[in-house]
Amino acid sequence: MIEVYAIADHPGPPLPDVNGVRAVPAGRIAALCADVEETALSPAALWAHEAVVEALMEDRDLLPVRYGTRLADEAQVLRAVAERHDALLAALDGVRGAAEVSLRVVAPTDGPAPAEAAARVHEQLAGQARAATVLDAGESRDLLRAAYLVDRGGSAGFAEAVATHQRAHPDLRLLCTGPWPPYSFAER
Amino acid sequence: MSTAVADQEVALIDLVDRLLGGGVVIAGDITLAVADVDLVYVQLRALISSVATAEDKHLLPRMGSAL
Repeated sequence: MIEVYAIADHPGPPLPDVNGVRAVPAGRIAALCADVEETALSPAALWAHEAVVEALMEDRDLLPVRYGTRLADEAQVLRAVAERHDALLAALDGVRGAAEVSLRVVAPTDGPAPAEAAARVHEQLAGQARAATVLDAGESRDLLRAAYLVDRGGSAGFAEAVATHQRAHPDLRLLCTGPWPPYSFAER
Repeated sequence: MSTAVADQEVALIDLVDRLLGGGVVIAGDITLAVADVDLVYVQLRALISSVATAEDKHLLPRMGSAL
């Protein structure tokens, strides 16, 4: 099986020596992929996948591909990428020079959930980002799960803004992680 | 739950959100359906305490990153 990690420009800079990743080019883009064995889902497997994507992102723009995208052979990879060439290139253009920062706002364990305060924090942070999106919080107690697209190198400054909001809202827990590849902005 | 355990969980939950719920979908044999994500959270949370925390590096602020 071939796992597809990301879509990037073609031609691009030399690929890092990580997990045997190679490029399958289709027009102006390429699928960055590697042969993989079946693996059980585990935190270690997810972090290993993430490490490959981050290594690829160090010296190129890329669209991360949904985890678990596996195809039988290179012909199938080529067909999948070629079919959506223009849309993928447009999506890649949308994340150039950017990384993603994650924010979760967790409600206090007792007392009323300050949902309005969480919404205001999101609104103000979104104003500082290139783009922002609210993610499904599922069945969690999170008041907000959001992602912000920020300039590469800008995540520390963004985290400082989050810290300022945290100090202003001691009743909320603001959980900020990143920088991540732009997973939440890859499908536009 | 101790603060330390909670902090370890933060980055893993965010990673799961991104890998299983984000990323561009191209044609292919997606091995995990989005509908299974909640089940995955439950399974992963049971494993978190045994994981060496590679995820710590994602807790912001992280300075000097290439990303």
